[in-house]
Amino acid sequence: MRQGARTRTPSEAAKAREQDRLLLRRYHQGGDSTAREELIERHLPLVRSLARRYAGRGESLEDIEQVGAIGLIKAIDRFELEREVSLATYATPNVVGEIKRHFRDKGWAIRVPRALQELNASMSNAIDRLTGRLGRSPSIGEIAGELKSTPEDVLEALEVGSAYSTVSLSQGPGSEEDLDPMETIGEEDEGFDQMETRTSLEPAFDRLPEREREILRMRFEEGLPQTQIAERVGLSQMHVSRLIRKSLATMRDELA
Amino acid sequence: MDRIELTTPLSRDFRAVVRLIVGGIAETLDFAFDEVDDLQLAVERLLAEAGQDGSVNISFQLGSRSVRTHVGPLRERAIADALQGPPPEPGELNLRRILEAVVDSYGVEDAADGAIYVRLEKLREAR
Repeated sequence: MRQGARTRTPSEAAKAREQDRLLLRRYHQGGDSTAREELIERHLPLVRSLARRYAGRGESLEDIEQVGAIGLIKAIDRFELEREVSLATYATPNVVGEIKRHFRDKGWAIRVPRALQELNASMSNAIDRLTGRLGRSPSIGEIAGELKSTPEDVLEALEVGSAYSTVSLSQGPGSEEDLDPMETIGEEDEGFDQMETRTSLEPAFDRLPEREREILRMRFEEGLPQTQIAERVGLSQMHVSRLIRKSLATMRDELA
Repeated sequence: MDRIELTTPLSRDFRAVVRLIVGGIAETLDFAFDEVDDLQLAVERLLAEAGQDGSVNISFQLGSRSVRTHVGPLRERAIADALQGPPPEPGELNLRRILEAVVDSYGVEDAADGAIYVRLEKLREAR
């Protein structure tokens, strides 16, 4: 049942903020994924409220809410405890931004046939399985053969995967598909990260999560192929591909 | 040498279509997943730097195990500057460094009115 529109009293609002703080501490400091889930649940009414502003534009409200929920999850994951703002204040631009981005460039992809969504879901494992078996990255035809599909469908399914995928609200930060920016790998990189602003993409680089910065550094500075990056960071090749593309697009968008 | 030509609006609304076409072409040459992804990324980043107004031609010349792609006319001087200027310094992330990582070679060709065409060459690994 959706939360009504009753306005909170100042003391209720303060209490809610304090409860959010406690949950954020449990999640970020203690790794308590149930606290994360509770935070998501507590702020879903905010997502619904924001999503309703974008209803009637060709997407179902449910889909818009789902996209908005991704923004909420990112906000929860990225929230720094030292921040003086409330989670709701911090999350609002994240949720709205995610919805706007969805309408701007991904709207077509959320209405994909179920068969393509299922094909996409099985693709990541198939690529890694074939890479291990062949000792190289598989061709699209080989992926299609492995999945008893066609190259055309594989290409389409890959494109589906580059759009927003459905996110389970119970998915923890350890899940492979979860873009958990708090996750750290290796040392603080000394490449792109410490360079002063010199080129078009650089100003936005520092604002990427550490894992994405590290992946970009490995790909574009070390020149490592996706397969090796995937091994180093413990992700699938397909996920690495998506993170690279998404990071570059995010950086460009931030500077636009 | 087979040739495929495409004219597309620069608007980001058409990026997914372009990606699918690039992927389909690379697939016909039996490119590996990461090679397909590289070529898609190269074209995508070029288009992203080219703004959103107007349209652009993309042509593909298909060899036995390579594809040569021409993208243009591009009017953003920043693209030519990034690709023709001094090499990026260590740690510098720009279009040139991205293209150097994802295609086997690239070049800039002058077109009319100060615009440029960017040539991208991607080879399929022998296997």
